[in-house]
Amino acid sequence: MTHALGLPALAMPPDEWLLIAALVAYAVAAIWLLLYFFSQDERHRRIGAPAAIVGCAAQFLQLGARYAETHIWPLLNLYGSLSLFSAMAVAIFIVFAYRYRVWFAGGFVVAIAAIFLAYGVTWNEGVMPPVPSLQSYWAKIHVPLVVSSYAAFLLSFVLSLLYLLKHYAEQRYRARSLQMAAAAPGAGGVALDLEETAASGASMQASAVLGEIRHDTPAIDAAAEAGDPIAGWLASLPSLATLDVLTYRAVAVGLPLLTLGIITGAMWAREAWGAYWQWDPKETAALFSWIIYASYMHLHTRNAWRGYRTAWVSVVGFVSIIFCYLGVNIWISGLHSYKV
Amino acid sequence: MSPRALYDDFIRTFGNVLFAVALFAVWGVLTLVGVVVEQGKDAAFYAATYPAPIARALLRLDFDNVYHSPWYVGIIGLILTSLAVCTFKRVIPARLPPLRPVRVEAIPLHATLHLRGTASEVRARIEAFFTRRGWQIRKRSFGGVEWTFADRHNWARRGVLVAHMGFVIIAAGTTLYWWKGFSGETVVLTGDAVRIPQTGAVLSLRSFRYVIQPTMTKSGLVYQPIDYVSSLVVTGKDGIPQPMTLRVNHPINIDGTYYYQSSYGFGVRFLVTHDGRPVPALSDQTLLEGQMLAIPGVQRSVEFAQFVPTIDRTTGRPSPDPRVNDPGVILEVFEGNQPLGAALVPMKTWIDLGDGWRIIPQAYRLFSGIQYRYDPGVPLVGIGAFVLLAGLVISFYFLPARLYVRVDDKADGTCTVGMAATTVKGYDIFDGAFRELVERLRAELDAQPPAPVLVPAEVTPT
Repeated sequence: MTHALGLPALAMPPDEWLLIAALVAYAVAAIWLLLYFFSQDERHRRIGAPAAIVGCAAQFLQLGARYAETHIWPLLNLYGSLSLFSAMAVAIFIVFAYRYRVWFAGGFVVAIAAIFLAYGVTWNEGVMPPVPSLQSYWAKIHVPLVVSSYAAFLLSFVLSLLYLLKHYAEQRYRARSLQMAAAAPGAGGVALDLEETAASGASMQASAVLGEIRHDTPAIDAAAEAGDPIAGWLASLPSLATLDVLTYRAVAVGLPLLTLGIITGAMWAREAWGAYWQWDPKETAALFSWIIYASYMHLHTRNAWRGYRTAWVSVVGFVSIIFCYLGVNIWISGLHSYKV
Repeated sequence: MSPRALYDDFIRTFGNVLFAVALFAVWGVLTLVGVVVEQGKDAAFYAATYPAPIARALLRLDFDNVYHSPWYVGIIGLILTSLAVCTFKRVIPARLPPLRPVRVEAIPLHATLHLRGTASEVRARIEAFFTRRGWQIRKRSFGGVEWTFADRHNWARRGVLVAHMGFVIIAAGTTLYWWKGFSGETVVLTGDAVRIPQTGAVLSLRSFRYVIQPTMTKSGLVYQPIDYVSSLVVTGKDGIPQPMTLRVNHPINIDGTYYYQSSYGFGVRFLVTHDGRPVPALSDQTLLEGQMLAIPGVQRSVEFAQFVPTIDRTTGRPSPDPRVNDPGVILEVFEGNQPLGAALVPMKTWIDLGDGWRIIPQAYRLFSGIQYRYDPGVPLVGIGAFVLLAGLVISFYFLPARLYVRVDDKADGTCTVGMAATTVKGYDIFDGAFRELVERLRAELDAQPPAPVLVPAEVTPT
């Protein structure tokens, strides 16, 4: 019995052990951080946060162990790069969580990272020597930079979705309160307040006067005070302005990394293929994503666009990133078709 | 419309951020078209791949070569124009605002403090507070009212300008390539030499070597290429032949032009016979894949379609093994433009072309595909990329903020401090920092006793 069950497991190389450990830790972290998201119970965070850190550490160790074992840079195929993507997504999230208290978003980030890691495992074809064009020191610079930028954009994507969730919830609560005000005689004062709030728009979101608590979702706050449990939970999430600033900060990490990644990729392409830009589908898709995030940054300078509109741009940006990352690698043939 | 009004319209349109974003959107869509639609194929490919109306539209709109289409070049031109107008008409004036009084309570980030002491004392203590924290202090008087302006990371207001300049430098570098640069590709057979027309350099290929490693993966056997190496003798402008080795990722530089290992393949020499006798005119050349031999006196021709390094003798079909073990060629025969059929012909064997003609693949030779490129714009593009990145880092990680401070005396020996903050990225991003700053200022100034008032000492006789 021991022989049948034990030996094959023990025969697994260390990197596969670490991979399993990372997946288990991510599953634990995702569950507890999602519970934290819904319950705001600190005890859930105290379990989820260390599990995320353990999973992230296990993943980096796994990549290191794979390199030590094979002496082949582990990021040269989709399996390796997806491993780094999920590890970096969790690592960037952890840094943000400690710096800006964004643990509430952790369940989603870790769950998505775990899904990408599990998907990456399906592309693991074992150890293969790299093709000549990948035998370059640039592989150790370009790939981590680009993958890290994708990871930062994952965090901005999750934060944007949370922004949109709260924004549209606020709209629903506002509409409901207006309906109630219209239906109830003598309640016009409340409705008028909300209309004025709605009319003030973006400037209302920024109107933080020292000593006052920011209320950029007055309808949710009012419903929460009235005892609505969902509104109470929504009100406990960070304000829309905070979510917007956090999204901006995540994009501000991702965009320079993507820029640097495109630049180093161009330098590598010049060495390998003779031209720094060849309009290869991967290059072009990366440029497309860059354009979207550059647009995000430009729009974010406008008061009228800052908020749910830029949140949508961030969401579209991440969709373009996934197309660039997986769609181009898997479905479109080109110079970057390094699936296995 | 007067020229002045036209100019104003132009500046208003091209200086509008939303117009720039709209241009970005069009650029993005055109870029995406190039990803989705295969580029650089012939018309027949699009006709075969897409329904006829779409294929026609793709060709008419130049979407088969979108990155060199008038649309694409035009949109990049418009973006660069917008970039320049935004930079000089919007970014610079907006990012470097003049010092002027404001209505403190009208700015969302504002605070009011009541402190002991005279206005001049409090102002001096506030200035000392901000100076210690690295803020740049400037004072101005407007209509008899003293204003103190504190700026942090004022230099970083130029970050967007720097990023835009990076783009302009990259565009200049790219233009320099279009103007002065060139590129091309050549094929040289083992033992042969080629002369590069633009540079006059002569490349002789002594040998070409490739390394293929069969690797067992979870999905089966994969023949993984490991190395491609061309051993060359290169004669540049100095006329001195020099042996050089060319590999992927290791280009060689000859008189400023870079040469790259890009591909390899096989050339084949065919023996053509007619009624059993060799025809030397058709038999002394080495053909590359895709080249044809026209049979004299008839409408028939033969295309060397593909070299097959290994024929799988069990199936009689090409093996996936790219190493040369049991080679052959695929020949396609045409009557006029009509294909008659194709055949896999092992080396040294023959096929009958009719009318007494036979063709025999005699011998193969490796060739090396070499790209070359002279690009005088590379240093500029590199500098532009660095400047662009520096601009992004400055713009994203340094937040220029300005504090407007007005101190007014009150009758009871105290004074009112009105303080407001603006940044180049709105108010939310500075909200926490502003609160912290005000709290610290309040704590520090409250804790400090007012400056002692010097009065003559009263001497009491003992």
